[in-house]
Amino acid sequence: MSLDRIKPHLPWITLLVLVAIVGGADSNFLKPHNLISMVADIMPLFIMALGMTFAIYIGGIDLSAQSVANMTTVIATVALPTLGISAAVVCVVAGLAFGMVSGFITTRLLVPSFVSTLAVGGVAYSLAQYLSGQRALYMDATLRDGSFGWMVGKSFGIPHEIFVGGVLLLAMLFLQTRTTFGRALKAVGAGELAAVASGLNVTRIKVMAFALSGMLAAIAGLLFSVKLSGGSPTLANGFLLPAIVAVLVGGTPLTGGVGGVVNTLIGTLIVAVIRSSMLYFEIDATMQQMVFGIILIAAIAMTIDRSKLRIVK
Amino acid sequence: MNGILKREALVKWAPLIVLLVLILLFTVLEPRFFSVRNLARIAISSTPALMVALGVTFIIIMGSIDLSMEGTVSVTAVVFAFAFLALGGTVLSWAWLALPLAILVGAVVGFINGLVHVKLRIPSFMASLAMGFVGTGFALLLTGGDRIRVEDEVFRGLLTERWLGFPVMVYVAALFLLIGWFIQAKTTLGRNFYAVGGGEELAHASGLNVNRVRILGFTLAGMFYAVGALMAVGRIGIAETATGNNFMFMSITSVVVGGTALWGGIGGVWNTLVGVLIVNVIGNGMVVIGLPGYVQDAVLGLLVIVAVVLSTDRKSISFVK
Repeated sequence: MSLDRIKPHLPWITLLVLVAIVGGADSNFLKPHNLISMVADIMPLFIMALGMTFAIYIGGIDLSAQSVANMTTVIATVALPTLGISAAVVCVVAGLAFGMVSGFITTRLLVPSFVSTLAVGGVAYSLAQYLSGQRALYMDATLRDGSFGWMVGKSFGIPHEIFVGGVLLLAMLFLQTRTTFGRALKAVGAGELAAVASGLNVTRIKVMAFALSGMLAAIAGLLFSVKLSGGSPTLANGFLLPAIVAVLVGGTPLTGGVGGVVNTLIGTLIVAVIRSSMLYFEIDATMQQMVFGIILIAAIAMTIDRSKLRIVK
Repeated sequence: MNGILKREALVKWAPLIVLLVLILLFTVLEPRFFSVRNLARIAISSTPALMVALGVTFIIIMGSIDLSMEGTVSVTAVVFAFAFLALGGTVLSWAWLALPLAILVGAVVGFINGLVHVKLRIPSFMASLAMGFVGTGFALLLTGGDRIRVEDEVFRGLLTERWLGFPVMVYVAALFLLIGWFIQAKTTLGRNFYAVGGGEELAHASGLNVNRVRILGFTLAGMFYAVGALMAVGRIGIAETATGNNFMFMSITSVVVGGTALWGGIGGVWNTLVGVLIVNVIGNGMVVIGLPGYVQDAVLGLLVIVAVVLSTDRKSISFVK
C-alpha cells in the first residue's frame, strides 16, 4: 500500500477522523440537529467552492469569486423590490458574465488567471459600491419571504439551503461526469497542450469553466444575502480563503486534472468541521484565518502534481 | 529588426508618456490638480504604495509573483506598533529600535514565504497568497481586532514635518527608491534577479543557485513591505489588521502598469515609480475632477489588463493558466 494509492482516499479519511476527534471531545457535536445546522451554515461557501473547483480543475484560479459574491448580495437586495424572484436571474446572469469576461481575458488576451480574475474582481467591487451607494442595504422582510423564502425555510427538519446546495452539486456532478464538456474539462486539466493537439476547442472550455465559477459565486452571494436578509459590497468578505481551502483539501490539486465536485463537498465539510471544532476546543476565533492559511499551504504541498511543473515560478 | 526595436521602444516609454498625458489631462480639466498642495497629497498617498511595489518589483523581475504583501504589511505594522509602545513610545527613547525590528520582521516573513515557495515547490502566487492569509490572520491574533495608536510626534513628523511643501516621508521614500535602484543595478543579487527572470534554465545551467536567489528575493521584498508598513502607520498614526488592505491590488497594478512584464526579466524600479504615480494620479485626479472614488478599482482593473496585454509578446507563449 503505497502513499499514492492512499492519496485519493485521504480527504474522506481526514473528514471522518476529524469528526471522530471533535465528537469524542464533545458528544453534543454529533447530534443530528447540530450536524445539520452546521452543514446548512456552510452552504453559501460550498456553492462558491463548487464553482472554484472548475477554475482550479483546469489549472487556473478564480480570485474574483468573493467580489462577485459581494456584488450579487448588492444586486439581489437592490433588484428585489422591483423584480421579485427575477432578481435571482439577474444575479446568475451577472455572475456568468463576469466569469466569462475573466475566461476571455485569460484565454484570448493571455493574461494569467490570477491577474485577470483579480482585475475583474476590482470591477465587480466598484460596481457593488456604485449600486449600493457604499452602504449596507437591507431586504424588506415580506418581500424577501415572498420571493426567496423557499431558499431558507425548513422541510422535514432539513433547512432548504442544503437542498439548494444538493441540487447544484448534482447538476455539476452530471456536467462533470456525464457530458462531453466534463470529458473535455478533464482533458484540459490533465494536459492542455495534448488537448489542443487532439482538436478540442480549449478556449471555449476554459471560458466555460470560468463562467461556471462566476455563476456559482453569484448563487453563493444570492443565498448568503437571502440568509442575512441584506447586501453590502463587503458582506461576503472572508469567503475566498476557505473556498480555496475547501477545493484543495478535498483533493483537487492546484495543477488540476484530478478531483472534482464531490471532492469539494468533502473539502467543504472538512472546513466546516474545523471551524466548529475551534468552537468546541475554545480556540480564539481570531486564530481561524491563520489556521486556514497554514492548512492551505499544507494542502497545496500535499496535492500538487510536481511532474506537471518543470519550473516552479 | 526595425519592428522589434520600435516595439521595445514603445513598451519602454509608454508608461512615462501615459503618466505625462494623465497629468496634463487632469490639469486642463481642473487647474487645482497641479498645485503644490495637491501634488503633495499624491506624493503622500504614493509613498507606502511605492515601498510595497518596489518590493514586489524584484519578485516580478524574477518571473514569480508575490501576493503576500497585505499580510506582511499588517504583521509588520502591528509588531512595530506594539514594540514601539512597549519600548517607550517615542523615537527619542529606545523605541527607535522598533524601526529596525519591523524591517527584520518583514525580512523573516519574506524569508518564510520564499522557503515555502522554493522548498515545498509550490507556485509563488499560491504560496504567497496563502502566506498573506497567514500574515493577516497573525496580525488579527496579535491585535484581537483592536487598533493601536502611534501618536509620537517625532514619528508622526514623517507626515507633519514638511520640507519644500512635501512631508518628510516622501524624501525617505526617495532614499529607499535609490536603495532599490542600487540593489537592482549595482549588486550581483540585482543582476541575478534578471538572470532568473530572463531564463531560469539558462541561469541554472550557468551555475547560478536559482533557489537561493529566489529566497533572497522574497526576503528583500519582505523588507520593503515593512518599510511600506512603517510609512502607512506614519501616515495615519494607526496600526491594525486592516493596515495592509488594498496593497495587493494597488502594488501589482502599479508594477505592471509601470512596464515591468509579468513574464520576468524586463523592467525595474524606475518603471515601478512611474506605475505607482500613474495609479495614484488616476486615483487623485478622478476625485479632483469630481468622479466618485469607487470607480478607481474598476479603472485599475481595466488598466492592469491592458498593461499585461501590451507587455506580452504574443508569439513567444502558447498558453497561460
